[in-house]
Amino acid sequence: MEDEKNRTGPLMIALQYNDLFDLDSISASTNTEDALPKGRAVAFVKAVQTVNERLVEQNKSESLLFEVILIAKECSEEIKMKIVESVKYYGLEIGKFFFFKKEELINTLQSNKVKLFLSTDRDDVCEALHTGIPAALLYEQSDDHVLSQLKVIFSGDVIGFSEDSLDSLSDFGFSETQIETLKAAKICMKEFAVLIGQMKRRFGQENSPLCICVLTAWGSTNVCVSALKTLREWGLDVDEAFCLAGAPCSPILAVIKPHIIWDGGLHNMRDLSAHS
Amino acid sequence: MSKPEGTERGGQSNSDNSEEKYWVAAKTLSDNARTTMKPRPPKPSNAVTIAVSSRTLFNMVKERKVFEEEGLEKYVAHQLELEDQPFTPGVSFPFVKALMNVNARLRELYPDSEELFDIVLMTNNHAQVGVRLINSINYYDLTIERFCMTGGESPIGYLKAYMTNLYLSKDSMKVQEAIEEGIAAATMFTCDSENELSDTQLRVAFDGDAVLFSDESEIIVKEHGLDTFFRHEKEFENKPLAQGPLKSKNQRINRPIRTYLVTARSAASAGARVLKTLRSWGLEVDEALFLAGAPKGPLLQKIRPHIFFDDQMFHIEGAQELGTIAAHVPYGIGQKYHKGKRIDTNTNNEIKMSKK
Repeated sequence: MEDEKNRTGPLMIALQYNDLFDLDSISASTNTEDALPKGRAVAFVKAVQTVNERLVEQNKSESLLFEVILIAKECSEEIKMKIVESVKYYGLEIGKFFFFKKEELINTLQSNKVKLFLSTDRDDVCEALHTGIPAALLYEQSDDHVLSQLKVIFSGDVIGFSEDSLDSLSDFGFSETQIETLKAAKICMKEFAVLIGQMKRRFGQENSPLCICVLTAWGSTNVCVSALKTLREWGLDVDEAFCLAGAPCSPILAVIKPHIIWDGGLHNMRDLSAHS
Repeated sequence: MSKPEGTERGGQSNSDNSEEKYWVAAKTLSDNARTTMKPRPPKPSNAVTIAVSSRTLFNMVKERKVFEEEGLEKYVAHQLELEDQPFTPGVSFPFVKALMNVNARLRELYPDSEELFDIVLMTNNHAQVGVRLINSINYYDLTIERFCMTGGESPIGYLKAYMTNLYLSKDSMKVQEAIEEGIAAATMFTCDSENELSDTQLRVAFDGDAVLFSDESEIIVKEHGLDTFFRHEKEFENKPLAQGPLKSKNQRINRPIRTYLVTARSAASAGARVLKTLRSWGLEVDEALFLAGAPKGPLLQKIRPHIFFDDQMFHIEGAQELGTIAAHVPYGIGQKYHKGKRIDTNTNNEIKMSKK
């Protein structure tokens, strides 16, 4: 039943306007007639559009397509117009625009059945995950490197750890909130993985516009294998896999250049005391 | 709203700090999850990182054939079918096992040190094949905790990201690329008959010119002949040779390891400069063997190194004929010559790739 419902609808992704446009670089000297300067999310939207184009190429009546909506927190009418114009200017296909008060973020996302909320703000991602909204990190893509593929990373640590292991994390400094967030994240990741898996199967293994990666930052190689097998069960074939065993993530991420990172809020969990 | 750490373009110190904290979280979780008594791997910045490709670690000749003859999809399907069947050991397997033994002894001698060998599996294989690779690694109880399966993308960027000190692969083009990027690398070949190797001591043999040292002297031999070479070496006896591609890798090796310099030079006429160069680098080579042009094969057969590095295919072939595992370092003037004759660089690639 759930499969059928998913297959007919579009995969809705929500972005925040301050990720789409670089508002920080606007100064008094900026010409107000120009479009807003591009932000980190523009490369992502372009990649999504490429996937949609390829899907429609395969099947003109394809209904499982990406749809990007833009959410913006309280701003003036002037800025609202500016945003809509700039979106048009860059040729970005944005389905809907939502403007709301800061506290209404979660409600807005919930009521619009967003399948993925993407943000560069880790706190926002964590908060959303905690309330059961699928959320992932938008990785900073340097605009000059436009990929013809949409790259998604799933955290091997979150997927590869069993339900029981996640529970036992409380012995090791993880708070109840953090553990609940990780569990909720895993459920969201599964839903997303199933959908993306369906999309990916529209293409062959070579020259696919979707590239799926698993990155295991701390877990052992066995945790990584568990993650690969789990994703396989959920119907998603993984292309690239990385096992870091504690090595720094940033240099590796800089080579992978992903768009979306599903890490279940792990990056926010840095205030753990070392247990020796 | 603050910018997320780790993704700032110029904020190096910020991201280093967050990496430290992340490392703490990493240790905590991985200690919890450790079901075996295997010790934690060292930080890449402290370790000597050796990256091996899947085809050098394991024998994947049959599977490679499927890939070349039937394409990617059939290849992946084939690997999935055999997922629970471990691969047989490949050409870098003895070297990796020996490195593990060295690590064990280093840990005994210096329990707090992170100056250990770290072995990374660096393959452009598809992640689906990864399950079989890891199953095989577990089957042989190898300590390989880090890997990159790039699904077809070049591994060079990842080699740098892991601060790789040495890269071993069967693909000579990747090795060439790595050397051009300043990473010590060598091409390995299948060895049919292998000598019995030591279980307790890692033995590494190196050629001198264009491997440990630069090819400056070798250029003189090839282009001006031996007499000029001898005169040149005598004149510049006290000037250390420039560094070759494998020099930095060697510098960090010491202790339960025996290193051999096996060079075609003769001690009398050209040896002094070699020894003085090594001394000036503070490099300890356990044995320096000057062959004065004699073939390297028989000597290597006696030494039984786990790996022998040379820049000339002629010596690689000679070593292999007598059962030594050899790795080719594609550097310098040696690549333009084969058995004394100058060759076209196009045909040169064919000669290098003639052995799989």
